[in-house]
This record gives sequence, C-alpha cells and structure tokens, in this order.
Amino acid sequence: MLVYTARRLAVAIPVLLAASVLVFLMVDLSGDPLSDLRMQQPPPSEEVIAAAEARYYLDRSIPERYWLWMTGIGGNGDIGLLQGQFGPSVRGGAFDIGEELSDSIYVTIRLVTAAIIAALGLAVLSGVVSAMRQYSKLDYTLTFIGFLALAMPTFWLGALIKEGGLWFNQTTGTGFFFTIGANSARVSNMTGWEYFLDSAGHLVLPTITLMLTSFAAWSRYQRTSMLEVLNSDYVRLARAKGVPNRVVVRRHALRTALIPLVTVATIGVVGIIEGVVITETIFQWRGLGYFFIEAVKAQDAFAIMSWLMLSGTLVVLANLVADILYGVLDPRIRYE
Amino acid sequence: MTTTENINDGATATVDTDIVLDVQDLNVTFSSEDGPLRAVRGVSYRVRRGEALGIVGESGSGKSVTSMAIMGLLPKTAKVSGSARVLGQEVIGLNDAQISKVRGDKIAMIFQDPLTSLNPVYTIGYQIAEAVLTHRKVTKQQARARAVELLDKVGIPHPDRRVDQYPHELSGGMRQRVVIAIAMANDPDVIIADEPTTALDVTVQAQVLEALETARKETGAALVLITHDLGVVAGHVDRVAVMYAGRLVETGTVEDVFYRPRMPYALGLLGSLPRMDEARSEKLTPILGTPPSLLDLPAGCGFAPRCPMAQDVCFTTEPALEAAVDGDDPDPFRRHTAACHFGEQLVDARPEDLFQATAPAAETAAGPDGTGGAEAAGHGGERTDAAPPEVLLSAVDLVKNFPIRSKGILRRKIGEVQAVSGISLELREHETLALVGESGCGKSTTARLLLQLIRQTSGEVTYMGQPLHSLSDAQMRPLRRDLQLVFQDPFASLDPRMTVSDIVAEPMQIHGRGKGAKQRVKELLELVGLNPEHGSRYPHEFSGGQRQRIGIARALSLNPKVLILDEPVSALDVSIQAGVINLLEDLQDELGLSYLFVSHDLSVVRHIADRVAVMYLGKIVETGTTEELFSAPAHPYTQALISAIPLPDPVKERTRERIVVTGDVPSPADPPSGCRFRTRCPKFANDLSDEQRNLCVEEPPDLLDRGTGHRDACHYSQVVELI
Repeated sequence: MLVYTARRLAVAIPVLLAASVLVFLMVDLSGDPLSDLRMQQPPPSEEVIAAAEARYYLDRSIPERYWLWMTGIGGNGDIGLLQGQFGPSVRGGAFDIGEELSDSIYVTIRLVTAAIIAALGLAVLSGVVSAMRQYSKLDYTLTFIGFLALAMPTFWLGALIKEGGLWFNQTTGTGFFFTIGANSARVSNMTGWEYFLDSAGHLVLPTITLMLTSFAAWSRYQRTSMLEVLNSDYVRLARAKGVPNRVVVRRHALRTALIPLVTVATIGVVGIIEGVVITETIFQWRGLGYFFIEAVKAQDAFAIMSWLMLSGTLVVLANLVADILYGVLDPRIRYE
Repeated sequence: MTTTENINDGATATVDTDIVLDVQDLNVTFSSEDGPLRAVRGVSYRVRRGEALGIVGESGSGKSVTSMAIMGLLPKTAKVSGSARVLGQEVIGLNDAQISKVRGDKIAMIFQDPLTSLNPVYTIGYQIAEAVLTHRKVTKQQARARAVELLDKVGIPHPDRRVDQYPHELSGGMRQRVVIAIAMANDPDVIIADEPTTALDVTVQAQVLEALETARKETGAALVLITHDLGVVAGHVDRVAVMYAGRLVETGTVEDVFYRPRMPYALGLLGSLPRMDEARSEKLTPILGTPPSLLDLPAGCGFAPRCPMAQDVCFTTEPALEAAVDGDDPDPFRRHTAACHFGEQLVDARPEDLFQATAPAAETAAGPDGTGGAEAAGHGGERTDAAPPEVLLSAVDLVKNFPIRSKGILRRKIGEVQAVSGISLELREHETLALVGESGCGKSTTARLLLQLIRQTSGEVTYMGQPLHSLSDAQMRPLRRDLQLVFQDPFASLDPRMTVSDIVAEPMQIHGRGKGAKQRVKELLELVGLNPEHGSRYPHEFSGGQRQRIGIARALSLNPKVLILDEPVSALDVSIQAGVINLLEDLQDELGLSYLFVSHDLSVVRHIADRVAVMYLGKIVETGTTEELFSAPAHPYTQALISAIPLPDPVKERTRERIVVTGDVPSPADPPSGCRFRTRCPKFANDLSDEQRNLCVEEPPDLLDRGTGHRDACHYSQVVELI
C-alpha cells in the first residue's frame, strides 16, 4: 500500500509540471497585462513603460519568464513558485497575491469541503435506497429529484435558493438564513463557538447550491452500481451463507458499489471548483471565485496563473485521494 | 431407511429424521411483461441424509429456479407456493431473518461461476470465516483456523498462506474449491450444487468434483447436484430427477434412468449425446424442435410437440409423475417414476427406435428432404483407406507470441505470452481435423492464424500450395472465399439489426457476388435446415441452435472449401447440439467440405473428427486418427483428458480407470522447461525415476511416432486403454 501510494505521488509531479507549462503559455498568449498602461492619455513616457515591463518581467523571453515564474532565480525576489512567491501584481505593491490567495482558500475550502461531503453522503444514501427499493415510489421520487437538480443551471438555482432564503427570513421575521458573505461583519468580537456557528450558518445555502448538481449525478451512478452489485453472484453467495440482508448490503454490496463512484466523484471535483466561482458570486463570498474574477478583470497575469495552478493542484490532489481510496477499497488495484 | 412404510403415504405427518430435504408441490411464477412465466410447476422430491440426487435438465427447465426458491434467493417478483422442508422446518415464506438462520447452516449452496461467486474485495479467509461467524459463537481466530482447515480439506495447497489471499490471486478451479469450503463451513445437512463445474476445464472439473465428494463425506450432507451434464450425473449421484419445462418428468436410480428410461425426453437426451465410448459411425438422434415457451405452455404434456410417439391424449392431458412399469421398488425413494402416458412402450426401446437421425431440413419439420442423413454413410475410419487426399491447408512451425505490456503510459513490453509455439498441421480435402485442448492452450489462436486473421510471429501457413503468410490483406481477400469461419457464440456473432437474409448475403456482397444472392440465400437456409421464408426475420426470433445454423449458412454462402469451426456447439443444449452436429456431418458429405474443428469437448470430437490434434500450452502433444487416439492414447495429457471426461453411463463411469492430473495449467508467459506438461504429469510424478525425469526437465520432446501408430510428444509415451 505504501509503495502504491508513493508511486501515485510520483506520477502527480510530471502532471503538475505539464499543467504549469500549459497554464503559463495560455495566460501569456492571451493578452498584454500592460495594455491599460499603454492606452493611457496622455501616453506615458517610454521610461515608464520600460520600467513597468521590467517590473513585470515582460522584457524577458517566454522560456526565461517561465523559468523565472517557476524558480525565481534571476528575479527581484517577488517571483518563483518553488520559493513560495507568486509574482508581482499589476494591482500595485499592496496587493500580495500569495496572501490574498491564502485568505481566499481559507474561505472557499470550507464551502468546497462541505459541498463534497454533503453531495457524496446524500448521493450514496439516495443511491442505495433507490437501488434497494427499485421501481418503488421512493425510487421514482428520488429519480425525479435527481433529474430536476441536474436540469437546473447553478447560476439560476443559486439565485432561486437565495431568494427562497430571503423570503423565508421576511415571512418569519427572523434572520434564520444568511444570504450574504462567508461570515457576519462583526466577526472580530466573537468567541470561538459563536464564530463556528456563524460560519456554519453562512455555509448552509451556498453548500446546497454548490452540491445539488453533483449530488444528482452521483446518486444516479450510485444507484446503477448498487443495482449491479446487488444482482451479483457474490452477493447471492453471501446471502446463501446466511448473512442477513442488512449486513450483506453494508458489507458486500456497498463497498464494491463505491468503487465506481470514486472515479465519478473525482472528475466531479473539477465541476465543483467551477461551480464555486458562480456560487461565491451569488452569495457575495470573498473566496477563490471572487479572487479569480477580480484577477481577470484587472488582467493580473500572475494572479490568474497562480489561481489556475492552485485549482490544478487541487484536481491532482483529488485524483491522488481517489487513487488511494481505490487501493483501500479494491485489493486488485493495490497489487498490480 | 427405517420408516419407509410411513413415507409411502406422503401426507402423513410422520417426520422421518432421515429426510433432510422434502419438497412438495413447489411452484414458481415470475411476472413478466408478457404475462406470468411459470418456471416451476408442482415439483416434489425428497432427499435422504447423505444421499446424492442429480437434477438434470436443459436451460430453462427450471432446475436452478427450484433450488433458488428453496434457498429463498429468488427476487421479490417471483411468486413461490408449495412447501420445502429442511429437517422438517418449512422454509418457503420465511422472512429474511428466519431464512438466514437456515441458509449456510443447515442448507448450503454452490454456484456455477467461481470467477464471480466470491467478493473481490475480501480475502478468501474472511469470506469463509464469515460463514462460520454468522452461525457459530466463535472468536475471529477460531473462525480463521476453521477456514484454514476447510481450505486444506478441499485440496488447496498451503492453506495457511492462501487464506490471506484475494480471489483474483486464485485460479477458477481454486476459487470453486473455496466456494465448496464455504458450503462445508457449518457442516450443513444439504448441499445444493448448481452446475458447479460447468465453467471449468475438464481436468479441473475432475478435481473439483473430487473436492465435492470430500465435502459430502466430511459433512455427511445430502447433495443435490444440478447439471446439464449427464456424464457428471452418471458418476456422482445415487438418484436422478429429469426436469423439462418446469416439471419433473422422470425420477429414479441412475441405473433406471440411464438404462431404462420411461419418458421419451430422457431417452431422447441420451440419444442426442455424443459419447466418447462409441464409434463414430453411429449417428446422433437429436430431439427436434425446442422446449415450449414458459409463457405459453401447451395444455397437455410439455414434451408432446417434440415427441415422436405423441398421441392425441398427449396434447390434451398432462401426464402425472407415476410409478413406471418396472417401478416396483418397495423403497419409495428408489422407485422409478415417469410422466408419460405411454411409458410402457419404451421398454427395451433404444433412442434410434424412436428418434430419427435427422436430415438437414429437419429443424423446420418442413417435410422430407432428399439428402437423408442416416444413409449417408462413409464416415470414420473407412475414408482413411483410400489414397491420401490432397492437403488443403497446412501450417509449419507456427509461432505466435503476444507481448505483455507494463501498466501506465509507457506500456513497455515486459514479456511475452507464447500462445502458439511451433505447431505444424495439415488439413486434407474432405476431412475433419479436430484441435482439442483446455482453455488457454492456444487452439483458438491457431485457428485464427490459419485464417490469417492475426499474423504469426514466425512459421508458415499454406493453402493449396500457396503461402498465405506473405500475402497482404488485399491479396488475401479472394482466398477468404475458400476459408470461412463459424463462431462459438450464436448470440454474439450475428448482427441483431440485420435480417437473416442480409446476414447470409453479406459475404456475397463483399465479394461482388450480389447478383442472384436472394435465391442463393433461400437455398442456403434450406440447406442448413431453416425455413427459407424466415429470411426476413431478425436473429432474436430464433433459438440458439437455429442461430448457429444461420452462422453456418453465412459461412457457406461463398462455397468455401474449408470451414474453421471454433467451438461451434459448446454454447448449445444437448438436444439442440446433436442436430447441429448432424447438420455439419451431412454438409460435409454433400459439399465435400474440410473442417478444422476447434473444441474442448472430446465426446463431440470423437463423434465428428477424422483426425485429432491435442494441444497443451501452445504445443501439439499428440496427434493421430480419431480411432487411434481414443483407443490407444499415448501421451499422459491425452490420457488425463480422456479419463477426465465423464461418460454418461453409470456402470462404465464408476468402474473405469482414471488418470488424474493435479494443479492448474501454468502461465503461458512462463512455461516449464523441457516438456511443458511435466509439472502436472502423473507419469512424471509417480512412475519415473529421477534420472528419467531429467530428460523431461531438460529436453522438450518432439512430436514423433514412437511405435504407437500415431505421433506423440512424450519421452516415455506408453499406450493406455481407457475406454
């Protein structure tokens, strides 16, 4: 198992390297970060532009810039991913990309984690129930809910959920649902417990928005794979051994039925990271989604690249977790 | 055995402690979109302690559904009525918690496919221990110790190491032993084995049947052996029950049912079975038609539409299962019963008295066809007396290696599987050469090499003096008219979206012979015994046997000289299989075809082939005329194969000499040095001195005539008479 994990880790490194090349090239070729400066009226002097170019390393060749961006060797000390430097922001010296990014991650990771856990948990539950009561009313209801959730785009569904929350608050005259931000404004003078409750409260509606699509897709997969396993020969043999049905489902069916879900859910993580941009915009969170949109607006090349690398890393990490889960769930993979 | 008088009257409440399983009037109906499907109708039988009952029937006869009903393993859509008592306890209608206490404890079951019967994510030790822990209050350590003990009993070497392995690390035969070990775990009173060896190779089948015998002896359980293989039944059970269309149609001791059948279906089954102990000249007598649809059962006897002696009453009144004419055994368990209005007419009847060796057109029952098969003699040894016919297709030193590649993106070549390593053979005009061996021996690869569907690593293939191995695909195409292929699976080898006419006509269109194809298709369909009017239908409207006939018609459409038949009858039921075998024989006589017949079934081979080549791990180990090979096998592997095939004859099967091989076939990626069979060879293990063994280890034996009249590849070959 250790060797297996180590081998998976080793594979992740070239994947990330390839991703960095792609990210760099795509962002670099997509436009000139100094176009605003050049268009200014009256036109800035040659020196100013040259200074800006030097500041953002635009005077170097493409391979040189990539090398700088990765290692920081030969730079001004503000660049080099491997040194923990994300590069200078066009939004001025006060804007530290690394600092802003880590603040955003802290906000967003809560939402993403909550959404993944909720989506997985509910998907497994509804998939198993649907499979065990195939063609029952419950199965049809869950199927209907699933397709409904799949059919609705996140930006519309999110707005709807937010409106629903507001309407509930208005009719009941309470502030039961939080619809704006990741935390309340007066967060600085809260105790730890209060802070936790406040965070959790703010999570509710965005989590529902973010997880619904994934939940719907995953529960369909879980239902199918569960059905397949329930009709398998080894489940029949387990019953023939005299193992009670409840235990058979838990011990023999569920574990093998989870294996295909791991694959699907891993791919789904990408979708969740995409969805977080929309969700954060709707609920006005200052997380990674907000960070990305602001960076694009400002044509902040290094910020965009940093964000892309970070999401790339998250996807690779999700795959790694999936591979390890595979190994845990399925001994056939572990031994290959 | 003590209270037989009481059981005479089945209704009395007297509980005979000797009866471990008592099934009374069991009915199973599935609801389907087309209406109720009556899978099992009024089945009653009893099994005594330690006894072995064989339940025989073809697919769809309800033999598996019956046992699944007893085990409570049918889906909820199945309606089960009637009674089944295990040790006096009623098990039909129990809820999950109640039946779980019985299952695996008093009654255990073994399923057909060992590759899917075990959960891939748990160790075999866990899966055996689970059976113990479910029913016994023992610790995990004790359960594990019991697992090791059981593995040892079913003949798995190094059980203490194997216990921690996962199913994928074990071969099919080993896994089936694990399933047997699970069944034995709690010393059950009844073990139901549902086709326990059907998915296994014959030499492995023999080992697993032995393990099953051990299980019976160790636990003292009664065995209900469900199978379609009359040979397995003949050797391993005391009593037989024959099922047809959901009913028991005949029961009795093995001797009664095999030697004195009183139901035409049982007689027909025996007649349609190719036998290894019978000379080739005898024609098979298939049962015409197909079993009735369970959705729309006839009013009378279910077999009447296929029965040659059916009278009016057979179509109106279903006969009850009653004592047969000679069924006067005082012991009701051994009493011979049959469900036939005219059972007494079968006294001293032989299958060929009742059933006809079919002419090709028989499948349609569309009237007589001029080519009367029975008269078309000239089979077997006679042909070899004539001047040797021309060689059509030959192979010299044919080798095919498949690369083994590493996982991951690089897919480096890390080894080779030697699927075929140095095979030479000749197929002559108007003869049938059988290529025989167990799975993985390279027989199908050889067939594909001969057709140049895959290219050889080295060696030569020649057709009528023309080397094929150097031809391009385009140059090869005109020759393909002469060399055609019939596949194993009649369901997968026909495009479900094409009509039968289009399927049969397709080769003609490809080869630019589309003109007149319509008429030709009709002729071909008639030739293979199908109604030419049915050409506009789709494959799914036909039964397995009919579909295989369509596949044969397609292969014949270009007037080929050579047909390569890759396991053409192994997917078919016995009664259907006989018809296809007869068809192939008749076509050969009529059209002068040459067959390369690839098969694992020596009984069929004995019946159809002129010459046989036996393959083991990519090499031919013995070859000769069919008569020579079966009457005087010289290679230990051939001997083991022949003795592993069960004969459908209780007395012969129980008294014949056996040569048993142990273990599984080694990986073709790493074959043993010297003689490839030595690792499993009984002669190597038991008869040879160390000095003699050296030769086997060091020197691969050549395929030579060693004075036995045919060629074998064994340093110490010695003829043994086995049949």
